[in-house]
Amino acid sequence: MAISPAGVRPEPGSFRDPANRVFHVGDEVLRGLDARAAEHWRALAGSEFFTSLLATGKVCATEVLEPARVPADSAWAAVLRHERIPFVSHPYEWSFTMLRDAALLHLEILRAALPAGFTTKDGSAYNLQWRGSAPVFIDVGSFEPVRDGEPWAGYRQFCQTMLYPLLLTAHLGVDFQPWLRARVDGIEADALRPLFRGLRRLRRGVPTHLHLHAAMQNRHAEATTTDVRAQLRAAGYSRELALATVRGIEKLVRRLEPTSSASHWNDYQRTCGYSAEDRVGKERFVAAALADGPRPRLVLDLGANDGRYARLAARHADHVVAVEQDPAVVDTLYRTLRDEGERRILPLVMDLADPSPGGGWRGTERASFADRAAADAVLALAVVHHLAIGRNVPLPEVVAWLADLCAPGGRVVVEFVHPEDPMARRLLANKPEGLFPDYHRAEFERLLATRGRIARREELPSGTRTLYTVVVGG
Amino acid sequence: MNHLAYLDAGSGSLIVQAVVGGVAGVAVAAKLYWRRLVDRFRRQPTDQR
Repeated sequence: MAISPAGVRPEPGSFRDPANRVFHVGDEVLRGLDARAAEHWRALAGSEFFTSLLATGKVCATEVLEPARVPADSAWAAVLRHERIPFVSHPYEWSFTMLRDAALLHLEILRAALPAGFTTKDGSAYNLQWRGSAPVFIDVGSFEPVRDGEPWAGYRQFCQTMLYPLLLTAHLGVDFQPWLRARVDGIEADALRPLFRGLRRLRRGVPTHLHLHAAMQNRHAEATTTDVRAQLRAAGYSRELALATVRGIEKLVRRLEPTSSASHWNDYQRTCGYSAEDRVGKERFVAAALADGPRPRLVLDLGANDGRYARLAARHADHVVAVEQDPAVVDTLYRTLRDEGERRILPLVMDLADPSPGGGWRGTERASFADRAAADAVLALAVVHHLAIGRNVPLPEVVAWLADLCAPGGRVVVEFVHPEDPMARRLLANKPEGLFPDYHRAEFERLLATRGRIARREELPSGTRTLYTVVVGG
Repeated sequence: MNHLAYLDAGSGSLIVQAVVGGVAGVAVAAKLYWRRLVDRFRRQPTDQR
């Protein structure tokens, strides 16, 4: 039966390329193609390189929607159905090695496409998503036949959303995430150049991809790309040369390493002062909370640190998103998960007191964290005191926020650190005395009860921490 | 500062790719500039600035 037009929800992040647009119908992710894009798709679907990228999972699974289901009033020549990505994330929520691996996958795909006569019309980091710790290329509409003698049209975008952020962190030790979050189109060459003066000019990749590139952009700002393409073709720019360029960028990206910085949180499990009994009790409680009731599809682990509880959650759920504030900690976790081949835990960089807002056009092109959450279970272990005392977020706000991250009927597994606990006392010692009179267990329990039913409660052996399972709205 | 449109490859971004492509690429870029220069002289009688 044809899809009713009333049930079609356009994807707010898919409008930049008018030739194809993504929309949602129920749980399905569909992509409409205009006549030309449909023609490109048919050529692509018949090509060997694309079939092999699909088979290895490097490109998201894609098939043609049965013609009978295409909405009657749609203007599309063809409609594709994509696999559903478990949790959509943005490049400013990735760690250095995540962005680097995503960039390498984009280049690998381009390198496979070029000899087969295809290219990608853009080069954005937003072309990539994650299945756990494995990157996947999602923008199937980006493939088009390559015209001989043409350089990669996506190169500038690749620089702005992937290469420049990587250079920033690798060469200067500056976290790229706030830069990418602030600008939906990435870092422009002219914005980055002032940071690479003096000897820094000579760092790997900087003289050509940044300085020369920016100078060329400014010098040729008036020339149209149509003219330049014709001139390059006439001067003998070949597909081999295009391939050599991609290989060169790949080599550069592969050699970029994050500048090591001492991280307070990297040692957390060793320095956090948990007794062995507390840890065993906590693990047992969390496992029981997740195993009790329907199997969660999506679990959010807030303040995931080294991923201990995210791993535990992955035994009881389909997918886990492990959110942690420190980019270095997330990078370590990502590398470990990647090397283990773990495909169900996605680590993300985000400050819980400043979660990703909506971004891009009308603030909806890149959905906010809250809009993407809808979790079946939220783990908030040893984070409430950091928000309530460390960041002065009112306790009722913290509880409301946790409950709102859940899908209807979801569970919150939350740890309350009593004001007498050594960690809480350390945080309180930095604040004026008597600033948080409502930070105590009875008030916390009262607030939990306003948002759901407390299904389980357990005090840890240390006596200064209590765990709760709350069924939201229950 | 350049603010280029999405799906606009950018003229400078196209040319610089020849240069980063190694020796053969530099030769292409040199040829492109040489042709532009020759064209400018050829056109000069009718295209005075």
